[in-house]
Amino acid sequence: MTGLVGRPVARVDGRVKVTGAARYPADDPVPGALHGFLVTSEVAKGEVTDIDTSAALAHPGVVAVLTHRDMPRLTVPPFPYLKGFIPMQDTAIHHVGQPVAIVVANTVEQAHEAAALVAVRYRAERPRVVIDDAAGPPHLPPPFRNRPNEIKRGDAAAALARAEVRVEARCSSATRHHNPIEPHATTAQWDGDRLTLHETAQGVNLTKGTIAAVFALPVENVRVVAPYLGGGFGAKGPLWSHTIINAAAARVLRRPIRLVLSRAQMYTMAGHRSEFRQHIRLGATRAGKLTAILDTTTAQLSNTDEAIFNASESARLLYDCPNVHVRQEGVRLDVATSSYMRSPETTAHFGLETALDELSWALDMDPVELRRRNHTEFNQETGQRFGSKHLLKCYDMASQAFGWSQRKRKPGATKDGDEYVGWGMATEMHTFGAMPSNASVTVGVDGKVVLRTATQDIGTGTYTIISQIVADAMGVPLDVIQAHIGDTALPVAGLSAASATIASVSGPVDRAARAARDAVVGLAVADERSPLFGVPADEVETRHGHLIHSRNHQRRDSYRAVVSRAGEPVEATGSGPNLPGLSYGVVFVEVRVHARLGSVRVTRVVTAHDIGRVMNRRTARGQVIGGVTWGIGHALMEHTVYDRNSGRVVNPNLSTYLVPVCADAPPALEALFVDEPDPGSTALGARGFGETPITGVPAAIGNAIYHATGRRVRDLPITQDKLL
Amino acid sequence: MPESPHPATTHTRRTVLKSTAVAAAGATLVPAPAVAASSVPAAAPTTAGGVAEAMEITLSVNGRKHAVTVEPRVTLLDALRERLALTGTKKGCDRGECGACTVLVDGERIKSCLTLAVMRQGSAITTVEGLADGDRLHPVQEAFIRRDAFQCGGCTPGQIMSAVACIREGHTGSEEEIRQWMSGNICRCACYQNIVAAVADAAREVRG
Repeated sequence: MTGLVGRPVARVDGRVKVTGAARYPADDPVPGALHGFLVTSEVAKGEVTDIDTSAALAHPGVVAVLTHRDMPRLTVPPFPYLKGFIPMQDTAIHHVGQPVAIVVANTVEQAHEAAALVAVRYRAERPRVVIDDAAGPPHLPPPFRNRPNEIKRGDAAAALARAEVRVEARCSSATRHHNPIEPHATTAQWDGDRLTLHETAQGVNLTKGTIAAVFALPVENVRVVAPYLGGGFGAKGPLWSHTIINAAAARVLRRPIRLVLSRAQMYTMAGHRSEFRQHIRLGATRAGKLTAILDTTTAQLSNTDEAIFNASESARLLYDCPNVHVRQEGVRLDVATSSYMRSPETTAHFGLETALDELSWALDMDPVELRRRNHTEFNQETGQRFGSKHLLKCYDMASQAFGWSQRKRKPGATKDGDEYVGWGMATEMHTFGAMPSNASVTVGVDGKVVLRTATQDIGTGTYTIISQIVADAMGVPLDVIQAHIGDTALPVAGLSAASATIASVSGPVDRAARAARDAVVGLAVADERSPLFGVPADEVETRHGHLIHSRNHQRRDSYRAVVSRAGEPVEATGSGPNLPGLSYGVVFVEVRVHARLGSVRVTRVVTAHDIGRVMNRRTARGQVIGGVTWGIGHALMEHTVYDRNSGRVVNPNLSTYLVPVCADAPPALEALFVDEPDPGSTALGARGFGETPITGVPAAIGNAIYHATGRRVRDLPITQDKLL
Repeated sequence: MPESPHPATTHTRRTVLKSTAVAAAGATLVPAPAVAASSVPAAAPTTAGGVAEAMEITLSVNGRKHAVTVEPRVTLLDALRERLALTGTKKGCDRGECGACTVLVDGERIKSCLTLAVMRQGSAITTVEGLADGDRLHPVQEAFIRRDAFQCGGCTPGQIMSAVACIREGHTGSEEEIRQWMSGNICRCACYQNIVAAVADAAREVRG
């Protein structure tokens, strides 16, 4: 064993990423590709009455302008196509930014210019785009992907009425957009009935199956390629309509077409975190034991779909409570379809962790102690004991590192210069997914090891961790391993969303690598030319690329020599189902609130997480520092503003939709891990993790602001004006 | 100063024009949709439709001179990516807000989406592809790997070019100063603490 798994190995894709050599989907050269650009609706509701394409067609370099009049009839595909309809199939307009035409030209500039020359006339109706303007009361949508939107355990209303202590909070959260730095890009290349997509896809196989359904193609006719991804955060998990429209145009024109969304188009074309309301009520004993949780939420839905992503999972699962009533309602509005966004549960978790903080003040109890008293070792819905849960240890580790015991038990008690200083905390929780996956490992006659699996690296370190797994399983150095991912031509694997990548591929990769190792050992011991000839296979160790007799280290061979003598590469495969589960943690923050300006700085953060085995401490820490900063954006900055009259997004750019920059990131951040392998894990002791370390951050910041100032703000983001 | 672009000593004159017979092909294959009737070469000289004439210019990129035919409206970013196949420089927002397209022009960091290619004739342009000395990475590139200062890599070329200039500008006196002077480059994965550490590391190495 070289023992690389668990070590902070530097990213194996580092060199290609720092030299510009990594080819992302918009970088792949596709000879002869034309450039597409979408014309999008300026109205939110109504219909297209006329499209004049003559000026656009007259623009030099323009090849075609396709509208609903020209598009082939297409089939609305199943999940993960969330939109409910395909634009440009008819004249109906459901939201601002809906594609109404695609301009195809020789150059990017020609396509953009000509798109502005397409004259579209509409019959427009007054839209409703924010929850306040909803036509009627919220309703309970039908289950989404077999998950009901109303869940009851015990009798929460009766328990609340009987409770010794009650807390009630109404929270809200603005619409948010993912804003990966890399815009969505798609290049469609047809060869007869075969389609290749160079696609910014978080799940190449899901995209493959979905696009095949659109065009009624046999699934094997589609190939989706995405070796690198410039961030996803959920935005590139579903298939979106621009990919369909571009592929349809490429089929009609019989030419490859590349289409890249503009930053502004990403605010209406590729999902968002919905505007959200939450009414949460907690009942408890005076000793701080929860007796009732009632959590009613309202999400902004589109007029063409009813999927709710801001789920109240933590209210159901995180704490020991016999009486729970979760109701996830929605209102249909003239907005684009929402979707998963990094830690979808963050929105509702804010309400739970804020209400718990309020309960702790009502009880005059330390908020960490309150959470300890409601800790559970059992899955609240199945009643099963968790095989491995170290949340209590997380509280210990992080509170000690933070110095929590020094906290003053009074709001507004600490001032440093012009700033009030406050401390806050919240528990973190994320349910991660896992999907059936496959991998193959090939040892070449040159001794090089090639790993193939159609997973993705969205920045979380997939390339590195699966290479570490192969190195350990085979006893070979990292530098002989080449991992190929992000291509449906490779063995089928699951998508990189729901923190599922490592949970999905680790087991299959490990099995494929061990099978390859065993095959090479088998060749060696059966080969008269090998120094290991005749040695029992179970007495052969492998390390540093060598095969060594465990009882006589002088008898040794190498992968390279064995496979070279065999004359052909050795290939083995691995597969297997994988288990979803939960990851936990806690976050402590220090904020400084300017007494006169109301500006908030997050100056110090300590986290501790229980994620099973830590596969790579660098990449795991990367998820923590990224997640904490996402939490800061969620809590303090990010909000998409709609114009209520026109339905347009007012701030579809990065200068008015503020995301955290370098100066906003906390200068002091300590990321601790319990690092105990989960015996129930199918992923070498690891659990899915990436999205866990955002979930508690917004509430921890809100709680710290209360501690600093005595002001409780329940409406996110907590912008300066709310503290003045 | 390793970040200083070297003037070209060898000229590779090549014209990087995308296909020029595209419009005609499209027209013959597609009867139904609205299709451009005339065949107009990609970036051929024309004044039709109010579009200014394309012109042949010379861009000096990473020490090599490239002849390229562009319309005046073509940004330096699109000239690099679409005409010179230098796709290391990324387009994140196309309006100067994210910094992913940062390159060095005569040693200064600029956002290549906010400048036109025709304005940069005679300037020495350095992109992320031109930073390493053969196989030897620039100290900033080394530091980014060592400090794990990236995840998805989408902003990384811009961060690195910005860091090279930030160090040369002398804005690396403290972590706080680095945080402020590196705030023009958004990292949505939010590796900021590691970026600050990488820039501080590289500054020590470069500036001594």
